[in-house]
Amino acid sequence: MGRFALEGVKILDFSWVGVAPITTKYFSDNGAEVIRIESAARLDVLRLAPPWKDARPGPNASQFFASYNTSKKGITLDLSKPRARELVKKLVPWADIAAESFTPKAMRNWELDYDHLRQLNPELIMLSTCMQGQTGPNALYPGFGQLMAALSGFYYIAGYDVESPCPPYGAYSDFVAPRFSASVLLAALDYRRRTGKGQYVDMSQYEAALHYLAPALIDYFATGSVLGPRGNASDRYAPHGAYRCADEDGNERWIAIAVNDDIEWKAMLQALGADSRAARFQSKRERIENAAALDEFVNSLTRAHGAQDLTHKLQDAGVAAYPVQNCMDLHQDENLEAFDFWHWLEHKEMGPSPYEGLQHRLSRTPGELRWAAPVLGQHNEEIFSGMLGLSAAEIEQLQKENVIF
Amino acid sequence: MVSELLKGYRMLDLTDERGASCGKMFADMGAEVIKIEPPQGCSTRTIAPFLEDVPGPDRSLYAIAYHAGKKSVTANLESSDARALVADLAAKADFLVESFPVGYLDSIGLGYDELARRNPRLIYTSITPFGDKAPARDYKWADIITWAAGGMMYMMGEEGKPPVQMSVPQAGLHAGGEAAVASMIAHYPRQVDGQGQKIIVDMQACIVWTLMNEQAMPILHGDHIRRSGVFTGSAGTRRKMIFRCRDGHMSALVAGGTVGGASTKALVMWMNEHGFAADWMLEKDWTTWVPGMFMKLTERDNFEINDLEDRIQRFFLTMTKDEIYEGTLKRRILLAPVATVADIARDRQLKAREYFVEIQDDTLGRKLTMPGAFAKLSVTPVGPHAPAPRIGEHNIEIYGGLLGISADRLKSFSAKGAI
Repeated sequence: MGRFALEGVKILDFSWVGVAPITTKYFSDNGAEVIRIESAARLDVLRLAPPWKDARPGPNASQFFASYNTSKKGITLDLSKPRARELVKKLVPWADIAAESFTPKAMRNWELDYDHLRQLNPELIMLSTCMQGQTGPNALYPGFGQLMAALSGFYYIAGYDVESPCPPYGAYSDFVAPRFSASVLLAALDYRRRTGKGQYVDMSQYEAALHYLAPALIDYFATGSVLGPRGNASDRYAPHGAYRCADEDGNERWIAIAVNDDIEWKAMLQALGADSRAARFQSKRERIENAAALDEFVNSLTRAHGAQDLTHKLQDAGVAAYPVQNCMDLHQDENLEAFDFWHWLEHKEMGPSPYEGLQHRLSRTPGELRWAAPVLGQHNEEIFSGMLGLSAAEIEQLQKENVIF
Repeated sequence: MVSELLKGYRMLDLTDERGASCGKMFADMGAEVIKIEPPQGCSTRTIAPFLEDVPGPDRSLYAIAYHAGKKSVTANLESSDARALVADLAAKADFLVESFPVGYLDSIGLGYDELARRNPRLIYTSITPFGDKAPARDYKWADIITWAAGGMMYMMGEEGKPPVQMSVPQAGLHAGGEAAVASMIAHYPRQVDGQGQKIIVDMQACIVWTLMNEQAMPILHGDHIRRSGVFTGSAGTRRKMIFRCRDGHMSALVAGGTVGGASTKALVMWMNEHGFAADWMLEKDWTTWVPGMFMKLTERDNFEINDLEDRIQRFFLTMTKDEIYEGTLKRRILLAPVATVADIARDRQLKAREYFVEIQDDTLGRKLTMPGAFAKLSVTPVGPHAPAPRIGEHNIEIYGGLLGISADRLKSFSAKGAI
């Protein structure tokens, strides 16, 4: 038993962008050895995206890439070259898991798909994850999580009305799918331990994401009812939403409040020093049915309060509330701090850099961000010389030929 | 059919909406998941909307979706008889996942330390809104609280209007998914040394994680994203991402460079076929077009972005979602419909992959169609295999069969309100 939970697990990681690198990060932060195969000939697009160190772009200066690739090793091979593929195949018997996230034809064209790799390692577990899966008429659909979040229904159900969708920020489905892929790979490892059988995992990010919309899909199939956006309305809570507080430093502030029953409603009014207008909203039914007027009323009460102070007041009174945090606030959030969420790691080129930590904590074998993300080809020598036994001259020659590139 | 993937493993599910998705994933992977709920039923059974808008403990769509394939036993945890039953079950379980207020299960003798004494193999995962040591660990909670605390809500909505939620609560689902990953991570060393452990999942951190690294923006760029409706990006990278079409909306990634150059070129060519492209667009090298890369825009950049977005908008207004999506697929353009559940239900890709599955629910007397396998596995297919259980449907099977409690004793427990 090592210090980390997944010590001894080995992953050959051909993947890029969000879902698969986030999946393999669960492994690397828990002690697995993850070797990412990259190429300057086809940079991971996250290396080309902000935020940048000092707001200056560069393939080794993207925190976006860095955040999803902690504790991994990085080598460069231009897999469009046969010699590069020969080299990478030598690593296949070493691996427990191979992961890739190209559109489905790439690995097949390179003869690095599961049917080829399993000949080199019959017990291999392989994850292929792309937007819409390896099969079917739309298998080659190119895209990113922003589009997938639209396609899988999340844009439509967010916003105030059907005329103006208000999507979740960013590539939402990229943060749903890895919870499935990481779980299933770990389960596949256990199945292999018990049976000696490896297997192929085809995860469509579309199909994984739809699980977070399951109640609405079941409803549609059963009754034809189409879930739409509904602002902050709720069937269970009223008030329920974000309410305007006093501005701070020129920034608008809001508080989220959810009131479940009459006891909480009265407690909320008392905490807010409310006047008799509240008589209009005495029963839960009245509050839910008059949600717009209720929201206006609550806004009139919260407007003078600081969001943080009001949160304390309401929570002390037994009412669910929290400031609507922006990305600046998150770095001062005392509850994230208590979970030791933020970390600074020393990156080879970016220097000390801000990383998000783990979302869970294991008591006996806690994972950690073991080191910052690799710069392009940071572990070339270690892997090509140490693992594959290439001489310095051979490595130099391969670099000249842009095979190691 | 029950998946072979995790067959033989047993999970006790003591969660509510803060993590019901964890047990659902384990059930999909073939584990025996025993939902332990109070005799009146788990609170998830009261979550609206209900099937056909008729309330009832078996009709909450949330419960139907996220308890599918689990077994249910009842236990009134205020009763010492019921606690003893749960402790006996935990002695025979591989995993336990719970989402009670921090410390509650410890206070009634069902905490990790207590249960691990009898079953050191147990992996015990606690889902918490803010972790177990936070000042807010005892805060009252609703899904929207974590949506706000995790930073997502602030970035959703339009300027001048309140930050906004999604119509299906999401925070609890992320926490459940994270609990599944964490439980499986802890399972790996247990295969070696037989030792379980306790895990804390922090739901707030789970939502911060979904922000696509935007949280590094304040530190590295000194700015943070404000909600801006159909636009995305911060100063210098702001782009329109949602366009109207004849019967709804389309989402587009209108970018150049490595990410979007080929796509935007293909889109411009398509627009040109219909007279919507400007001359400058035909001459542009889109593979090097990266306005905003240096976080500021020139006047020319602004003109190009606005002209392109404006013409895309006019072009899309001539077509339906289906027509645009069809054209997109042919031309490999980075576009997607803003799909409704109705669009998803008739999607040809999902049909070709036989994604949706029908599950017969005898309690409701009907078949239910639900999302199927979250991934396709070549040796051990996964996916839902049974409907959500009725309250206590498996009391006799589990308490009688697994624990060997006699029918008479079960009757007396029931009479005392323990189960």
